[in-house]
Amino acid sequence: MNAKGADRIATWVFWTLGIITVSILAFIILEVLGRGLLTALNPRFLFGKPKAMTAGGGIFPMIVSTLYLVVLTIIISLPISVGAAIYMAEFAKKGRLNNFIRFCLDSLATLPSIVFGLFGLALFVTAFRWSYCLMAGAFTLAILNLPILLRSTEEAIKLVPDTYREASMSLGASRWTTIRQIVIPSALPGIITATILPIGRIVGESAAIIYTVGVFIRNVPVNPFDTAAPLAGYIWATQAEPGVPDWKCIVNGGAALLLIMVFVIYFLARWAGNRYQKKKLYGVGSGKT
Amino acid sequence: MSARSGGAAGALGAKGAAFADREYWVRLVLFACASISILAILVIFLFIFRESLPAIRDVGIGNVFFSTNYNPQTGHYGMLGFIWGTLLTTFGAMVLGAPLGIGTAIFLDQIAPERTAQVVRRGIELLAGIPSVVIGWFGLILLVPFLARTTGTAGYGVFAAVLVLVVMALPTITTLSAETMKSLPQELKEASAAMGATRWQTIYKVLLPSARDGLLIAVILGMGRAIGETMAVQMVIGNSRAITFSLFGRTSTLTTRIVTDMAEAPPGDHRSALFAMALVLLLLAMLLIIIIRFVSRQRKLAA
Repeated sequence: MNAKGADRIATWVFWTLGIITVSILAFIILEVLGRGLLTALNPRFLFGKPKAMTAGGGIFPMIVSTLYLVVLTIIISLPISVGAAIYMAEFAKKGRLNNFIRFCLDSLATLPSIVFGLFGLALFVTAFRWSYCLMAGAFTLAILNLPILLRSTEEAIKLVPDTYREASMSLGASRWTTIRQIVIPSALPGIITATILPIGRIVGESAAIIYTVGVFIRNVPVNPFDTAAPLAGYIWATQAEPGVPDWKCIVNGGAALLLIMVFVIYFLARWAGNRYQKKKLYGVGSGKT
Repeated sequence: MSARSGGAAGALGAKGAAFADREYWVRLVLFACASISILAILVIFLFIFRESLPAIRDVGIGNVFFSTNYNPQTGHYGMLGFIWGTLLTTFGAMVLGAPLGIGTAIFLDQIAPERTAQVVRRGIELLAGIPSVVIGWFGLILLVPFLARTTGTAGYGVFAAVLVLVVMALPTITTLSAETMKSLPQELKEASAAMGATRWQTIYKVLLPSARDGLLIAVILGMGRAIGETMAVQMVIGNSRAITFSLFGRTSTLTTRIVTDMAEAPPGDHRSALFAMALVLLLLAMLLIIIIRFVSRQRKLAA
């Protein structure tokens, strides 16, 4: 076969591979939405309470659980991630210790979420005697999300040009004043964008929460130490042990809703990211030093 | 500072010291934040290890990690069959997923027009965000019945798990491969084209060899996702305790066995054996990271 012919065949093959990848995505989206969209948008499903034996149950407490879990997790992990990212971007020197921190972060990032789930069960639920609750799940997910949140926050901080730091330091500002007054305000839009994508992971996470937060509740959780049932885990439990006659309908609707939530979060992140790109470094703090 | 005189010097000195002092504390707090990752991995390891000790003590290391006899009713907790299940499904997912992912990355970098590439990239990012329960549910209601119809088997089993894992690992492999391809120097591509090479010859003889290490890392991280994936696989693999060597055999992986048994495993040897499986998963994940570090160090040395 001549080189031209081989090239033409290769081009076809690569187009086919690209198309296969995209069609997998399209197929999943269309199927899941096609089966569950009508249920997912039904107010009685969205705002109803789940039923234990009979058909017609809703998922409102599960939606609240998911949102509650997201808020708690971000409150716990954001300060730590930002602090760690500032250290890694501004202070850390190349060397053994820095290398070891990176190694631990990479390991955390590759650790299966079921391992986090069992760890949360052993530490927060059992050893701390918190029982199954939102707080146990939030701490577990905070550790699970630490590497991804830290990395994107660090990138946002590193995008702040060095000239900003030099200008501030040459005016006599200390390192910390520079970070507090110049670097963090400049990086803030980037940090906010960096926070959005991990939210998608929290919403979709199930293996790490079924043993820490719980899989079924009847009423909306109020206290962070209440047992709850985030949507993803509830969907899994419902299909694993169907207890109601219309379980298929509930799982279809829940899966479609989950997909919609994740996509909304994704496009929000994209939109925020684009805005940030356009006015990068807009909003430098005007505070007095 | 010492050049100044009088009371002003003392005041300024104190202020300067206070500044230096604050700087020190701030730095310490920030360092503490950064070292939480070290603490986290350590505490996770310790707790998983501690919880898996009872099973190891009561049944014996060999009978837990190197035995295929798993029957909680009779007190046998050998996990070798599930380690095999994890390796088999991961291998299968890489056989299909690596060419598809790397091929898509080459498509994005070399072949697709910019607008098409942009759309495909967005699509892959979206695919990465789809929760595993959704993909598992999709596999359960579509893939399994389809496999059952076309192969005459139950549909559940290794092959269904492999297909689900391909979907889960594909975004990781594609994104990282595409980054590697993009990072190759433009001169490489131009030089090859200038020599009269066709696009395929450039890809095959120039780009792929120089991207080798990066693509390897992409596939290893894809493996990491496949090894750790739990819910989606659990929904389609059949959850049998049997070891299988068949593509359509029902079996379990380490992750799916934990989820399947956890609900009916009260604190005791059974639950402890499940923690021992998590310990193996943890060690596998860290092994992958060590391999990646090794590969990238080799690359740095070669450069």
